Amino acid sequence: MAETIKLVDVTKCDGCRACMVSCKNWNDLPSEIEDFHGSYQSHEKITANTWNVLTFNEQERKDGGLDWLFRHSSCLHCTEAACEKACPESAISHTEFGSVVVDYDTCVGCGYCVQACAFDAINLATYVDKNGKEFRKAQKCTQCTDRLEEGLQPACATACHTGAIVYGDKDELLSSAEERLAQIKERYPNANIYNPQGIRGTNTVYILADKPTTYGLPENPKVALSQIVWKDYAQPIGKMMLGATTMAVIGSFIATSLNKKNDSSEGDQSHE
Amino acid sequence: MTNHWNDLKHADVLMIIGANPAENHPISFKWILKALEKGGKLISVDPRFTRTSQMANVYGQLRSGTDIAFIGGMINYVLENELFHKEYVAAYTNASYIVEDTYSFNDGMFSGYDKGKRSYDKTQWAFKKDEEGKTLTDPTLKDPNCVFQLMKKHYSRYDIDTVVGVTGTAKETYEEICKTYASTGEAGKAGTILYAMGGTQHTVGTQNIRSYAILQLLLGNIGISGGGVNALRGESNVQGSTDFGLLFDNVPGYMQVPTTAETDYTYQGFLDRITPKEGYWVNKPKFYTSMMKSFYGDNATKANEFGYHYLPKLAAGKNYSFMRLFDAMYRKELEGLLLFGSNPAVGGPNAGKEIESLSNLKWMVAVDLFETETSSFWQKEAGADPASIQTEVIFLPASGSFEKEGSVTNSGRWMQYRWQAIKPKGESKADLEIVHMLARRLKDLYKNSSNPADMPIKALTWDYGESDHPDIDLVCREINGYDMKTKKQIEKFGDLKDDGSTCSGNWIYCGFYPKNENLSKRRDSTDEGMGNFLNWSFAWPANRRILYNRASADINGKAWSKTRVGIEWNAAEGKWKGNDVPDFVADKGPDDPTFIDPFIMMAGGKGALFASINEGPLPEHYEPYENPMSNAFSSVQLNPAVQFGEAEMNAQGDVSKYPIVATTYRLSEHWQSGAMTRSQEWLAELVPHMFVEISEELAKEKGINNKDKIIVSSARGEISAYAMVTKRFKPYKLKDKTVHHIGMPWHFGYKGIVTGGTANRLTPHIGDANSTIPEYKAFLCDVRRAK
Amino acid sequence: MNKSGNKKTVKRFNLGFRISHWVNAAAFFVLYISALPMYTEFFDWLYPVFGGPAGARLVHRIAAVAFMLPLPIMIIFDWKGFSNWAKNIFSWKKHDLQFFPQFMREFFGMKAKVPKQDFFNAGEKVNSWLMIVTTIMLISSGLIMWFPQYFSYGIIMWAYPIHNIGLGLAAAVAIGHIYMSLVTAKPSMRGIIKGDVSEEYAKDHHGRWYDELQAAETKKKKHA
Repeated sequence: MAETIKLVDVTKCDGCRACMVSCKNWNDLPSEIEDFHGSYQSHEKITANTWNVLTFNEQERKDGGLDWLFRHSSCLHCTEAACEKACPESAISHTEFGSVVVDYDTCVGCGYCVQACAFDAINLATYVDKNGKEFRKAQKCTQCTDRLEEGLQPACATACHTGAIVYGDKDELLSSAEERLAQIKERYPNANIYNPQGIRGTNTVYILADKPTTYGLPENPKVALSQIVWKDYAQPIGKMMLGATTMAVIGSFIATSLNKKNDSSEGDQSHE
Repeated sequence: MTNHWNDLKHADVLMIIGANPAENHPISFKWILKALEKGGKLISVDPRFTRTSQMANVYGQLRSGTDIAFIGGMINYVLENELFHKEYVAAYTNASYIVEDTYSFNDGMFSGYDKGKRSYDKTQWAFKKDEEGKTLTDPTLKDPNCVFQLMKKHYSRYDIDTVVGVTGTAKETYEEICKTYASTGEAGKAGTILYAMGGTQHTVGTQNIRSYAILQLLLGNIGISGGGVNALRGESNVQGSTDFGLLFDNVPGYMQVPTTAETDYTYQGFLDRITPKEGYWVNKPKFYTSMMKSFYGDNATKANEFGYHYLPKLAAGKNYSFMRLFDAMYRKELEGLLLFGSNPAVGGPNAGKEIESLSNLKWMVAVDLFETETSSFWQKEAGADPASIQTEVIFLPASGSFEKEGSVTNSGRWMQYRWQAIKPKGESKADLEIVHMLARRLKDLYKNSSNPADMPIKALTWDYGESDHPDIDLVCREINGYDMKTKKQIEKFGDLKDDGSTCSGNWIYCGFYPKNENLSKRRDSTDEGMGNFLNWSFAWPANRRILYNRASADINGKAWSKTRVGIEWNAAEGKWKGNDVPDFVADKGPDDPTFIDPFIMMAGGKGALFASINEGPLPEHYEPYENPMSNAFSSVQLNPAVQFGEAEMNAQGDVSKYPIVATTYRLSEHWQSGAMTRSQEWLAELVPHMFVEISEELAKEKGINNKDKIIVSSARGEISAYAMVTKRFKPYKLKDKTVHHIGMPWHFGYKGIVTGGTANRLTPHIGDANSTIPEYKAFLCDVRRAK
Repeated sequence: MNKSGNKKTVKRFNLGFRISHWVNAAAFFVLYISALPMYTEFFDWLYPVFGGPAGARLVHRIAAVAFMLPLPIMIIFDWKGFSNWAKNIFSWKKHDLQFFPQFMREFFGMKAKVPKQDFFNAGEKVNSWLMIVTTIMLISSGLIMWFPQYFSYGIIMWAYPIHNIGLGLAAAVAIGHIYMSLVTAKPSMRGIIKGDVSEEYAKDHHGRWYDELQAAETKKKKHA
């Protein structure tokens, strides 16, 4: 299967927020009414039940004009996904579509992924089971993997009337993004394609009108050394050490017993 | 719209003024962006920097209520720099018409004003005719009394400096807008103007739109793909409801309602009054008689003047528009009120007083999806004392658009059929069912009456089935019209008769249901050319997608541009052909003297640069009812033809007490009075709080911080809201002073999941001189921090 | 020196020290058990024991508080024992280093000649150090993980591997320590449970301490 991505061209976004509503609708997520944030933005950030938030930034342009920058912010579906790496239960994985999804049955709600995500895109939802006990699950944008499996587009892309959110062939979309970038450079000199290679790219690629930091995105996110140390070394070595210690103990037990039999006369004063 | 949504993609320049389609007509941006991707330019003119402004190449700020100054300056720019489309203006507009010598204009006033009546004698602005009744013209446009010269003189006063001193637009930006937009005057280029309530909701609303039309005619932008004067309708079917006689003085098809005046004593007298001598409207009697045949069927005979006397008559000279009805209610002259999906307690001007008026009713029936602020105006929640309100309120639950079947006509005049998606919830019913049941019960109640006053109900035919659920197909067939004898569907409105042999519920829709196919159900998305999609649904009139499309070709019938073909004269075949249904008699060739008359609805067939409406033949700038400065163009402050209603309903604020200009608007996320959206949790969460947008400068002056609770007050009342301090609002730098402005959505009330202060508690109860649409968009107020 | 049963015993640990030790041990055990299912899927069956992951997290946090108590308990209730321990573990001499090769022999049941040891033998000293280091690692990183809102992304991200490594080390240390006490040095259990050990054990395993005790005894007698 050809690789597919979601391309978000923020310069085509007119801020209507249909993506937010269609997401809630398809994924049947509850509304979350937040306090007044002093701008058009409805939610301060992505939450466990609000998987995409349209952000609104106002900034003066160098030419004296104004820019009101909109961004459909949701999970980027990193190729090297910190959430996936952080998950102690291996509940987070990549699908055949390149989307990163949480297996709710395996997720234990530890929240390691929440801390690991550099984009604040994954969060814990609290539920109450039938006995009234609370439990948590990590939730985020699935890139509508369930729709992709049925040959549909993500709900946000379907709802987007300006074509700011499109889903399709990776190579085609990336080359169209390059063309678009050339077109918009005059209007947005800092425009760039955000597909950070430090994490080997993302499955949601952005055409941004300004520097990533304007949108609260890390300039060049990398796979964290701490994660490598942890998951690639510490965890396996730790498991090995546990094994080695256990083996040593067992070995000692057996050896001691055997030696005891052989030198029973010396008893437990043997080290004298 | 003269054009349609999909056609926006053909524009070279789009000017959006008094509209915010990115927020209120988002789908339009699908097409606007296509135009921009092809190198088109988008101009956004608005008091505030909106989501539309962000999408635009140029944003021009203008003070609320100064559109005529703004556009007048552009007209002047176009005329002074000779950037108009000369062939078009000379051939297709009334620029060459000679005006009577009685016409004059002096210090803001046209000739013929009656101060007592606050109205003009329009005959003083008539065109000069020869003995045969033909209008005198000067094709060279040199005659000082020709429309072109009078217009040029009129707008010469709108020089750039004066204009920007009134509108508050930065001069450089204004010049850039003039230059960019005027570039569409070149033959083959197209510029479109998109407007909505920001254009209409003013005491000079109609003239605002007239000014857009004049600019478009000068630039040759009407009748062509990518051009037009395009009204973005505020509701999905507001076009349809207006087509069907929504306005108090209209019957379906934009024809007049008879009055009690002597001229209207007989049907013939009435027809004589309303039927012009020239233009397509000469057919009005055919349409009117056919309409009455659809109302009264066999009860409409030649002998009883086709049931003319069954029609309700307006008291001559009396205005029955929305605000005047509330005036009457306020004076206890109205007993009852039927409200269909209407929420004046939030949406009406000076809503506080309108709510007061409601309590003077004996009864009110509210038909709505949710209990609204209006249907619950008597509740404690509303701040009312239920014991003191005697109004009997009946609430009828209505079904939503997905729960019923029928058609919706969009801004582009496309009548699009919709099918029921889900069954209505509970006892809710479709409007059609409610009206059907009501009509049947009324007819039943009156069936044995011999009282002449009851005859209209008795004479009414209501044969849409015997059950409570009407047969909607029968309604559709009757709207289209059929032959009374053979019952065969009429195929085009040209076939309607004035002798009672045909019926048609609405002549402009005649042709949507020819033979046995309801064309509004068509869903063929094949584009046969220019994105007109002629086999998708049905567009009135006659499936024509672009009105006045004769003007898409030059005087010889050749398209102005090869890439922008509407219709063209095909000499070989002897008819008009192209990518649209000709807005013209298809075989009318160059030999016909009216071959160059594209504006078929106008007497003379020419686009009206000069047209007599209530406040004058040429749009002139007047200040809003409440304004921060004296009129820079004349000593006349307020539109002299504006009528005042009930004085107690309309307190006026003064700039000394209320120094800040305010405007109201809608957001993408909420709908009208919010009755539907504030009750829908996924929409409610997007904009959960009532806010007021204020500039950083004003915030500083008033000691207001972002997110503070503030009080906004006007002469009518005050509301509380959150302050949204933003760079998108900038004070207006006017000629002699800097004036602050604020803006707020009018979606909020106290019902629903999210609630907030009602902006219309602040708005004035005064309206346009022609349409009486309220002046929601420009008024004065003050703000302060809430304690 | 006391008489305990028919054997002569010497006082080894005060009550404060012992409580401190057992609080530490118990807390560590609970922390370990409640962490295991997350550490490796092999132990996922432990979740139901705690009533699900949420229960495990709650237990882990309660135990985490307990895990921070031993040091204050020891300082407050057994300053002497604490300072003795602190002094001991900083003292590294030849006999400490000679301990290890001999220990290995002994560990696997072979003949060994271990030099005389201090109050804490070199093995215990190493154990102490490992415990101190892992405890600091676990507590500091655990607090960061518990209250991430007060820390920067980079610090939080390092907390995870540190906690992880801390656990690996601590678990290994604990297993070794428990094994030693249960199997190879069983009599020492009495010291940490009842507070005293047999004179014989003291002499055999902590010769230098025993010598000191004897010296002190003699000195006391002289003065008396």
